[in-house]
Amino acid sequence: MEIAPTPQPVPLVYDIPFWESVKNKDMQLQRCADCAEWRYPAGPICSQCNSENAVWERVSGEAEILSWVVFHKTYLPAYPAPHKVIAVRLSEGPIMISNLEGKEPEGSWIGERVSLCYSEMPDGMILPRFALSE
Amino acid sequence: MVRKRSAAAIIGIGQTDWVTDWKRVRAGEKPADSVGYAAQAFQQALKDSGIPKGDIDGLIVGPTTAYERMGEVLGLNVRWGGQADAVQSVLQAHMAIEAGYAKVIALVYGNDQRSAGTQYGGPAAMGGGSFLSYVYHSPWGMTSQGALYALTARRYQEERGMTEADMGEVAVAQRAWASMNEAAIQRKTITVDDYIESRYVCEPLHVFDYCLVNDGGVALIIADAEYAKKMSPNPVSILGTGRSDLNTGATSLEPRLTDYYLPAQQQAGKDSYEIAGVGPEDMDGFLVYDSFSVHVPLALEGYGYTEVGTVKQFLTEQGIGPGGKLPVNTHGGHLSESYMQGWNHQLEAVRQVRQQAGARQIENAKTIHYTSDVAGKCMSIIYGR
Repeated sequence: MEIAPTPQPVPLVYDIPFWESVKNKDMQLQRCADCAEWRYPAGPICSQCNSENAVWERVSGEAEILSWVVFHKTYLPAYPAPHKVIAVRLSEGPIMISNLEGKEPEGSWIGERVSLCYSEMPDGMILPRFALSE
Repeated sequence: MVRKRSAAAIIGIGQTDWVTDWKRVRAGEKPADSVGYAAQAFQQALKDSGIPKGDIDGLIVGPTTAYERMGEVLGLNVRWGGQADAVQSVLQAHMAIEAGYAKVIALVYGNDQRSAGTQYGGPAAMGGGSFLSYVYHSPWGMTSQGALYALTARRYQEERGMTEADMGEVAVAQRAWASMNEAAIQRKTITVDDYIESRYVCEPLHVFDYCLVNDGGVALIIADAEYAKKMSPNPVSILGTGRSDLNTGATSLEPRLTDYYLPAQQQAGKDSYEIAGVGPEDMDGFLVYDSFSVHVPLALEGYGYTEVGTVKQFLTEQGIGPGGKLPVNTHGGHLSESYMQGWNHQLEAVRQVRQQAGARQIENAKTIHYTSDVAGKCMSIIYGR
């Protein structure tokens, strides 16, 4: 059986270290070296203090679900319907789109605490995902 | 500098026959391409204006059609021109007229999105591999414009205490208006129960929350106020405009998910109200860019039609359909009339102010408000006399 490819990111130059860190199961985000503002997506300057100095730092992996949806129509072969997507706010501040692994909350998912985990897709790609916190 | 009130007015409107083209496209025909639809609409608008074509010295073309080709087809060598979406076109025409770059501007839009099989989600979606969301969303299977609005709607509904039935009021009201509009593609009325029983596309949004995808064209002729007064029996003035954007966190959806565009809508609204000298209480009708139904409650709160947090009561107790407190999207909007990417709303504003809206005419309508909030770019236009 043919394996549906995971939709590949088309990273801009600043995003490459993010995807490298994900591949190593060590998710890092860019951070301003001067004012310590976290950035996702990564970029050329700090939107807060305009500094061009940046570092990459591992995130805590703690997050909260902001919203979730269920696709009832299949748009991508790797994700046949019904397919669920979440938006989480990392404790560092940025919002990420992802998926929930494992057990699902009953009722509303909004406000549920989740923790970072890594999924290996059928085609071998590593994706950062989240599971309900213990 | 305070912007001049009523610098420009709309003197001509035109559109293609959306209903006939919908049927023909569904039967497998290809009635026209985007240039063809735009040209048909232009012919109508020019005729409606009654002015000589030679007086047109400006041209703005919708983003779905090549500008130079459009000018070539219409025979317009203008001294000012460009390409923009619906609301930007109106604002740019207004600015160009006020700045003296042009006196009479034709705005033309054509789209063969249905017959061309345009995709708004998935790997072949517009923008394809270079679209920003392909880096930040699609690896997790998040694609399609509707899904972005579904994420917004879920959180918004929970924060505002709205049920799906409350949300269904938007689609039900707009379909009721469309039932009175012969130019609307979907005219069969629906109930809240029909809405709830309908299929989900991206939950919590149902199929009735999504805009249509159809072929067609729209054109407008906007002129300097003095010229309009001299040449047109029934000009409709642009009384006020405003714009405010939210870009911080745009890629990670912060303005959509947690701000619901509210600060930008409030600012754009305030600017337009000040210039026009009117407020939401003075509007006879409210037209909202509605690629998805959720735009409507966001705009009702954002532009001050109801207090923030009370949109559920506004929708269910006061009402936005026929007989309701505030007529909203009286043509049926993108959900039921036609998906002309905001262009058809401008035509409806003009028709209502001209008292030419037929069975759905708002009695003695003098002032009509149009707003859009596409991707955090919030804009407000007040039409009237």
